Amino acid sequence: MTELCGIVAEFNTPEALTHAAAQLRRSGFRAFEAYTPYPVEGLDRIIRPGRNMLLPLLMFGAAILGAAWGYWIQYWDEALNYPLNVGGRPHNSWPAFMVGTFEFMLLVTVAAGFFGMLAASGLPKLYHPLFEARSFERASRDRFVLCVERADPRFDTDAIRRVFEEHGAQRIEEVRA
Amino acid sequence: MAMSVSTGLPPDAPVIAPDLTMTSLSEQVSARVLSERAPLWWHIGFAVGFMLLTLLIVQMAWLFINGIGVWGVNIPVAWGLAISEYVWWIALASGGTIVSALFFLTRSPWRSATNRIAESMLLSAAPCAGLMPIMHLGRPGLFYWLFPYSTVMGVWPQVRSPLWWDFICLICYILMSVMYYYTGILPDLATVRDLAKSRSKQILYGILALGWRGSVRQWQNQRVVYAIMSAIMAPMVISVHSVVGLDFAGGLTPGWHDTQFPPYFFFGAVISGTALIMMLTIMVRWGYGLRDVLTEYHLNAMAKVMLVGSLLLAYAYVWEAFGPFYGSDVAEKTEFLRRMFGFTASAFWSEKILTVVIPQLLWLPSVRRNQPLLFLISTGIILGMWQERFVFVTSSLEHNYMPSYWGHFFPTFWDWAALAGTIGLFLTMFFLFLRFVPIVSLAEVREIVEEKRSK
Repeated sequence: MTELCGIVAEFNTPEALTHAAAQLRRSGFRAFEAYTPYPVEGLDRIIRPGRNMLLPLLMFGAAILGAAWGYWIQYWDEALNYPLNVGGRPHNSWPAFMVGTFEFMLLVTVAAGFFGMLAASGLPKLYHPLFEARSFERASRDRFVLCVERADPRFDTDAIRRVFEEHGAQRIEEVRA
Repeated sequence: MAMSVSTGLPPDAPVIAPDLTMTSLSEQVSARVLSERAPLWWHIGFAVGFMLLTLLIVQMAWLFINGIGVWGVNIPVAWGLAISEYVWWIALASGGTIVSALFFLTRSPWRSATNRIAESMLLSAAPCAGLMPIMHLGRPGLFYWLFPYSTVMGVWPQVRSPLWWDFICLICYILMSVMYYYTGILPDLATVRDLAKSRSKQILYGILALGWRGSVRQWQNQRVVYAIMSAIMAPMVISVHSVVGLDFAGGLTPGWHDTQFPPYFFFGAVISGTALIMMLTIMVRWGYGLRDVLTEYHLNAMAKVMLVGSLLLAYAYVWEAFGPFYGSDVAEKTEFLRRMFGFTASAFWSEKILTVVIPQLLWLPSVRRNQPLLFLISTGIILGMWQERFVFVTSSLEHNYMPSYWGHFFPTFWDWAALAGTIGLFLTMFFLFLRFVPIVSLAEVREIVEEKRSK
């Protein structure tokens, strides 16, 4: 028999979803997640409160590393590995290295942001149990979906259903995988 | 996001059509990607593009077999159409990033529906730009020598040269643009995945969407990274086109050796890139019947950006004329007078009319609402910018310091084939974007729909 993963509810409006999520949090639930077609304002304060500085810090660190890498490539080339006297300029002619340093810095920063975003979001992950839910089909279009996961210590099917119904859920279903 | 319609807009021009809902938006835009048959105009446009792309391949084969002597370039004019068109294409591409990144930072509401068109245009134009200098190399197979890696030969590129900076800028720019594009399009690919009916498309978009679910965590990550990326892409694109200007400013040739050229080139990118986005937006709007999403509001806003671009360019042109006469260099003066009244005079003056004089019509609100006229003005701007790059590159080389060294540039058939061919590459790529990815940023337009609903 397939295993229960969670209970999913589909809402018509972002307000209904936000209120239901707030109610769940007040009732002590912790392992629930919302799936929306666009970032709904205020929802992140209910589901993932607190400032998440991981990605900005990652990108900042990458910027420093990228600049160092870019400068080092040019310094190694022009001053150490293949020193060439061009019009009497110093081998380490740093002003001329700035463009390369700048571009490498930005490239590494953007790459860190891109791959960091995927990693922090758990992507790529082509299959997820939630894809089995019928209500999830429209979560990328025009519906707002809330899912309480089985992992929640207070997981109780009836209590969750009651919260969902109270806030006007259009469809409630159990996700199994 | 400030959604007030108070900035001198006609009251009949809302950002999106009032009856547009999240459902109709997703279905309308995705239907263009998922429909079994593309419309007739798509087939015509793609066929034209593909034929020209074939010409490009023939041209490249002929060029690589015979060497760049098949073009009209020679001493003294060793940089001809290929280099002018390199600058032209990179300016068109840069416009895509300007609209997409710069106006994301200003939170302009009109950017949401047009940024995907702008970025698709950028990704189609950047390879055309990159191809030009590679074709122009005497030994194109060795272009990878420009990569700064320690080869067994022990030979390094000269990293103090603006030409090397340019190479690095272009490579970084293309790579970063792809990542920026993908970060923005990920949620929309998920929409297409969930709407797809056929198994093959479900698998294709399922893989492309990487399993995006739109959870709060994913949205948080995507938004924060996208915002930082925009803040990076904006200065990045300025640096790219400024370094193209440095290619010339770093040379001692009269007419090129001037510190004003980095911003001068960037101003050209603002106006010509926006003009191309304008043309493509009008095309998509009518061809795909997306008049609810791409409204007059968008055209009006882009027309204003074009107007600003033409004023910036006018300022640069004044300085271009002021410099030679303020300085004491006879060669600079001679070159500039020849540019204005000599061999290139017709292109010189028509370029000024097309990019600075005619765009002044955009001061009139009625012109900003007249789509055929906007399309014509934009075409004129793009043609004018092509002439500007052409005059700028060739005229200076035609009149170098020694009069005994002067000569003229005459393009050959293969020069024109390279131009037509890269236009073919651009059209082919853009029409493929039109067919296979949602051409409007669904997630961002949904926010505008939602904001209007909750008001």
